Amino acid sequence: MSDATVFIVDDDQAVARSLRWLIETVRLQVETFASAQAFLDGYDAAKPGCLVLDVRMPGMSGLELQERLAARRCYHVPIIFITGHGDVQMAVRAVQAGAFDFVEKPFNDQDLLDRIQRAIAHDAGQRGKEAQRAQLKALFAGLTPREREVLDLVVEGLSNKAVANALGLSAKTVEVHRAKVMEKLHARSISDLVKMAMQNQAP
Amino acid sequence: MSGASEAMLLGLVVLVGTLMVAMIGSTYLLLRLREAETRLHEKEDQHQGILDRLQENEYRLRTIIESEPECVKLQAADGTVLEINPAGLRLLDAGRPEDIIGTKIYDVVAQEYKDIYRENMRRVFAGEAVVYEFKSITLKGRVCWMETHAVPLRDARGAVYALLGITRDITEHKWAEEQGRRHQTELARVARLSTMGEMATGLAHELNQPLSAIANFARGCIRRLRSGDVAPADLIEPLEEVCEQAERAGEIMRHVRDFVRKSEPRMTAVDINLVVRSVVKFTEHEARQNETVVTLHLAPQQPRVWADSIMVEQVVCNLVRNAMEAMAETRTLRREIIIRTVRNGGDFVEVEVIDTGPGIDGAVIDQIFDQFFTTKPEGVGMGLSISRSIVESHGGSIRAESRAGGGATFRFTLKAIPIRLNRDERRYSLHS
Repeated sequence: MSDATVFIVDDDQAVARSLRWLIETVRLQVETFASAQAFLDGYDAAKPGCLVLDVRMPGMSGLELQERLAARRCYHVPIIFITGHGDVQMAVRAVQAGAFDFVEKPFNDQDLLDRIQRAIAHDAGQRGKEAQRAQLKALFAGLTPREREVLDLVVEGLSNKAVANALGLSAKTVEVHRAKVMEKLHARSISDLVKMAMQNQAP
Repeated sequence: MSGASEAMLLGLVVLVGTLMVAMIGSTYLLLRLREAETRLHEKEDQHQGILDRLQENEYRLRTIIESEPECVKLQAADGTVLEINPAGLRLLDAGRPEDIIGTKIYDVVAQEYKDIYRENMRRVFAGEAVVYEFKSITLKGRVCWMETHAVPLRDARGAVYALLGITRDITEHKWAEEQGRRHQTELARVARLSTMGEMATGLAHELNQPLSAIANFARGCIRRLRSGDVAPADLIEPLEEVCEQAERAGEIMRHVRDFVRKSEPRMTAVDINLVVRSVVKFTEHEARQNETVVTLHLAPQQPRVWADSIMVEQVVCNLVRNAMEAMAETRTLRREIIIRTVRNGGDFVEVEVIDTGPGIDGAVIDQIFDQFFTTKPEGVGMGLSISRSIVESHGGSIRAESRAGGGATFRFTLKAIPIRLNRDERRYSLHS
C-alpha cells in the first residue's frame, strides 16, 4: 500500500462508505469524516494524500472548509471537490480559490481515481519541495550573524577584498568566514551558494 | 193723502232704497277690486322674487360648474354630449365647446372600454348612480385614464332625461397602480419559478446521493472481481448497500409523488361556460394591458362536464395567457382572442381558444405539450404540459393548430355528462 491517504468529507455516510469501497481498490488508505468540522478537528496535516470534499454539506460547506484551511497559512493536502448537477459555478469558484480539481456527480469511477492519483502525486511533489525548503532553512539558521553578512555580500558578487572593506575586516578573516559558510551550507562552489541563497529567499 | 201721492212716496222710497243698495254694493265691489289689485301686485312681486331667485340660482350653479376644476358634462341616453364645462374641454383636448357638444362621447372612449361605458350609461338611465373607470383617447389622440361619477338627472315627472357626469383624470394614479401590480405579478412569477426550481434542484441533489453511492459500490465490486483478489463473501456487504441505496431512491420518489398528489381533484358537474367567463374575468386586466379584445362565442345550454372546475379553469387560463403572450411578442395588428364552446356530438364539450398571434412553428407543433418545452425566453415549459395532463386525466384530449392566415387555435375536449343522467342534473343544466 502507498503511504498516501485519501481523506473523504461527506455528510452522507452511505456515499462516504461507497467512496471508501471504490478508492480502496487502488490500494490507497482512506479516512472518512462526516462533517467539515470533524475533519478540521481530527485530520493529521502531516499525512500525505488528498482531500475529496462534497461542495454541498449542511453546517460548514466544502467551500468554507477550503477557506478555513487556506486561513491557516500552512501547507494542506490538495482538494478535489465533488459537485452535484448544476453546481459548476461553485466548482469554478473553488478552483479559483486554489482547489486542485473537481468532479461532477454522477462521475466515472476511473475518472475520479485518476484525479485522486494526480492529486496525490502533486501532494508528494509539494511535500518534497516543502522538505527541501525546510532543510535549507535549517542550514541557514546555523550561520552566525557575521557569516550571514559575509554571505549576503559574496552573493551580491563582491570580491573578498571588497567584502573586507565593506565590513571593516581583514581579507584573511573574510576568507575564513566564507569557508565556514560553504562548509555549513554544504556548498561546493560560489554558484551553489548563490542558488541556495535565492531558494531560501523564495517564498 | 191721495192714492197718487202714496204711490209716489212708495216709488221714492224704492228708488232711494235701490240707490242705497247700489251704492253700498258698488262700494263693496270697489273695495273688493282694490283688494284684488293689491293681491295681484303682491303676487307679481312674489313672482318676480321667484324669477330673481331662479336666475340667481342658475347663475350660481353655472359659476360653480364653469369654475369646477373637474370635467362636468351632461349626456343624452345615446351618448350625445349636451353640455360640458371648460375643465371638460381641457380634459379632452377640445378647443371649442362645438368640438364636443353634439358629438357622441364614445368617440373619446378607447375601443376596449366602449362596452363597459355603454353598460354604465344604461345603468344611469335606469336610475342608478355609478362610478366607473375607463381609458380615453382625447381629440388629440392622448391616451389617459378617467374616473367618472355619474348620476341621473330627472325632469318634473321624474323621468331621467340626462346623465350628469363628473370626470377626473386618474392616469397618474392608474400608472402607479399599474406599476405596483406589474411588480407584484413579476414577484409572483419569480416566486413560482424559484419554488419549482428549488424543488427540482433539491430533488436532483437528493436522488444523486443514493445513485452515486450505488454506482461507487457496484464499481468497487467490479474492480475487485476483475483483479480477482476478492472472496465472494466480501462482496455481500457492499451489494447489500447497493440494495439499500436503491430503496432509498425509491423512498425519495414516493415522497415526491405524495407531495404532488396532496391536492386530490374535486369533481363536480361543471358548466364550462361559467368556467370560461370566470377566466375571462380574472384575465381581464391582463387583456387590457395587452390591448387584447376577448370575444366569447359560448354555445347556450351546454351539457355539463364532470370535472374539477379549478383545474379546468387552470387549463383555460393557461391557453388564454399563452395567446396573450404570443400576440404581445409580435407586432400583430389586431389582438383578439376568441373563446368558443361547442357541443361536440353528444359525448364531449369542446373549448377553443383562438388567437391572432404569429401561430405555431410547424417544426415544434408536436413538442409544445412536452414538459420543459418552451419558446418563451423566460418560460419553464410547464403550462401546456400541465394543461394536457389535466385534460387527459378528465378523459379528454387537447390539440394545437396553426392557421394558414396566422394565429393559433388550441382545442380541448371534456367528457359531457349525458343530459338524462338524473333529474336533478337535468333541471340544473336547463336552468343554468
